[in-house]
Amino acid sequence: MSDATLPAMPVLPAPRRMGHAAFWLACAVAALAVIAVLRGIGSEYAYFAATFVLQYVVLATAWNILGGYAGYVNFGAAAFFAAGAYTTVAIGKALGLSLLPCIAFAALVGGALGLGTGLLTLRLRGAYFAIATLCLSVVLQTLVVNWSYVGGSRGAYVIRPRDVPWPFDTYGGYLCAVVVVLAAAAIAIARTIEKSRLGLGLGLAALRDDEQAAEAAGVPTLRLKLIATTISGAMMAVAGAPLPLLGSYVEPNSAFGLAYAVNAIAMPLIGGTASWAGPLIGAVVLASLQQAATVTISSAANLLIVGVVLVVFVCAAPHGILGLFKKGAR
Amino acid sequence: MRGLSRRGLGRAAVAAAITVPATARAQSTPSGEPIRIGGSMSLSGGLAGNGRPAGLTHKLWADEVNARGGLLGRPVQIVTYDDQSSGAQVPGIYTKLIDVDKVDLVVSGYATAIIAPAMPVVMQRNRAFVSLFGTGVNSEFKYDRYFSINPSGSNPNQTFAKGFIELALAMDPKPRSIAIVNLDSDFHQRAAESARALARSAGLRVVYDRAYPPTTVDFSPIIRAVQAARPDVVFVGSYPPDTAGLLRAASELRVNFQLFGGPMIGPHITAQKLQLGPILNNLVVWDVYAPEPTLQFPGTASLIERYQPVAAREGTDALGYYVPPMAYTQMQVLEQAVKKVGSLDQAALAKAMHETVFDTVIGPVRFDAQGEWPEPRDIYTQYQGVQGNGVDQFKKAGTQVILYPAQYKSGELRKPYTAGA
Repeated sequence: MSDATLPAMPVLPAPRRMGHAAFWLACAVAALAVIAVLRGIGSEYAYFAATFVLQYVVLATAWNILGGYAGYVNFGAAAFFAAGAYTTVAIGKALGLSLLPCIAFAALVGGALGLGTGLLTLRLRGAYFAIATLCLSVVLQTLVVNWSYVGGSRGAYVIRPRDVPWPFDTYGGYLCAVVVVLAAAAIAIARTIEKSRLGLGLGLAALRDDEQAAEAAGVPTLRLKLIATTISGAMMAVAGAPLPLLGSYVEPNSAFGLAYAVNAIAMPLIGGTASWAGPLIGAVVLASLQQAATVTISSAANLLIVGVVLVVFVCAAPHGILGLFKKGAR
Repeated sequence: MRGLSRRGLGRAAVAAAITVPATARAQSTPSGEPIRIGGSMSLSGGLAGNGRPAGLTHKLWADEVNARGGLLGRPVQIVTYDDQSSGAQVPGIYTKLIDVDKVDLVVSGYATAIIAPAMPVVMQRNRAFVSLFGTGVNSEFKYDRYFSINPSGSNPNQTFAKGFIELALAMDPKPRSIAIVNLDSDFHQRAAESARALARSAGLRVVYDRAYPPTTVDFSPIIRAVQAARPDVVFVGSYPPDTAGLLRAASELRVNFQLFGGPMIGPHITAQKLQLGPILNNLVVWDVYAPEPTLQFPGTASLIERYQPVAAREGTDALGYYVPPMAYTQMQVLEQAVKKVGSLDQAALAKAMHETVFDTVIGPVRFDAQGEWPEPRDIYTQYQGVQGNGVDQFKKAGTQVILYPAQYKSGELRKPYTAGA
């Protein structure tokens, strides 16, 4: 053994990073600002369009926790989303509860469903895991179609309550504010997981890169995977919970629609999957484009837009919009 | 009359010369802000086969109204967005129509599945709403400003299959059993409920009663199962893609049912009529119109004559017997109500629609408290003597004869149904 010692590595200054509490606070401030701006516009359609876009922010962020951080591609986003929507229908009908408790129930149902999926697919990876999640969607849709209490294949009507909570003028405005808060919370949760020192962020990254190597290195892959599927499932169901009140009508084909599954994957891919900001950017860009297309050209253009944008990004920016900026910075 | 001086007479003549053409001009060219009429329409997706001709008819009506001098002297303008045959798109479309486009009047898109999700938005804004092919939509909402052009009445769950069951019971020998097959959708479930209730009360034994999911692509097992149950009569409720699948399966399996049909939506679209050809022979189908001499109202034939060249140009449903007369009626009801009220006040329009008997291209139309037809006018027709796939045979009387109701009857029931075999 040589006596020579390795020169000490120069100590790099730690990059300045916003703490968790500061980020949560920033999200809360941003949410308040968005609510104030939308109130300033004051149009029901602005509320509707914003709610539409923000539900995708929640959905894409939720998908990214499992798909982006842990590398487990979930094709069943629509199943979790619809589970949230139908929880609102069922709980609202059975107990007569308002939206907020229904969202809490949706989180529980989605979390349980996520945990169950995680447990059932313990030994499945890659394409097999993706196909299993796709099956979940089919199984859940079949259940809902045959469950007449929530409307079966006819669909269910959910009339908005006449009383609007203070200080909102319309139910559309209230619903939009709720979804703004949900989106801000989803982003804050994603960022907390991503930067977490508890090891979840790094552990999930290890899981994504090489699960067996991570396992050998002592990363508790099973526990992390179950935590990720549970949180992701709960958040996706939360995204779907306001859906019945947004349209006042929900039916299986729409709730389990291909658009939700495709968008949940396409939005993080377009924005960039490595960070909490990617799904946010992807969702805002893609959902706004889709909403604009629905009311200008034709709603049939929706999935076409997703397809074209995806092809462009796969060719021009494989790491999404964020990847483009990071490349420039290097 | 006081004496008129020569100068005064001259002035009057000049004034008349200016005002008369001005009045005439006002009648021929409407002026001012257009009256905007908004709605969603299924221009793509599974319902587009009927949504497109409906949208075209709305435009045809608007052009004619504008040529006649507009509505309240103002031009009318149709604002339509494609709902992609998906109910999920509908609330957003109506919110945009009312809040951003600021349309003055709203009308519905084509089918029940599209009309139902529009209702909450329309109700929140207290708009009068004339719908097209909704079946029992208002039974849940009980909205007093809803009006349906569909002639199925306010209780389709009980009355819809009446014609079909009556035809079955009149057969010789009298049938003893029935099979009920339907697509698992709102409209067809209501139709099947009606068939079930009426069959039971008529003493028919229900030997098969199943709904199939919208994802079904192979219909042979369904037809086989129905054959195995050996029913005398088969009542089927289906949408266009399923209708084609079911009839082709029936043809392949060489079925032989004494009476086969029901609300099988599909042959109503010209393209499907031509595709199926002789497979349609002896099929009994629910409909709203057929070109038979017994079912003519002033204006129907003339509307179809005006529609067909436009349809040929736009490449949509060529014959236009099913949706166009109803879609035109939808706009006529709106037009006559606006003219009667003299304004666009929604409450007054709704009140006028409840009180008025409208003179339309499908005959006089009035509405009950739920906005439905007080007396249903569901007709059951049978395709007879279809040969090959030519379009002209469907234009002449006797190809789609009316069997029910009695006052429009134009032919006798032929049996059995053998799918062109």
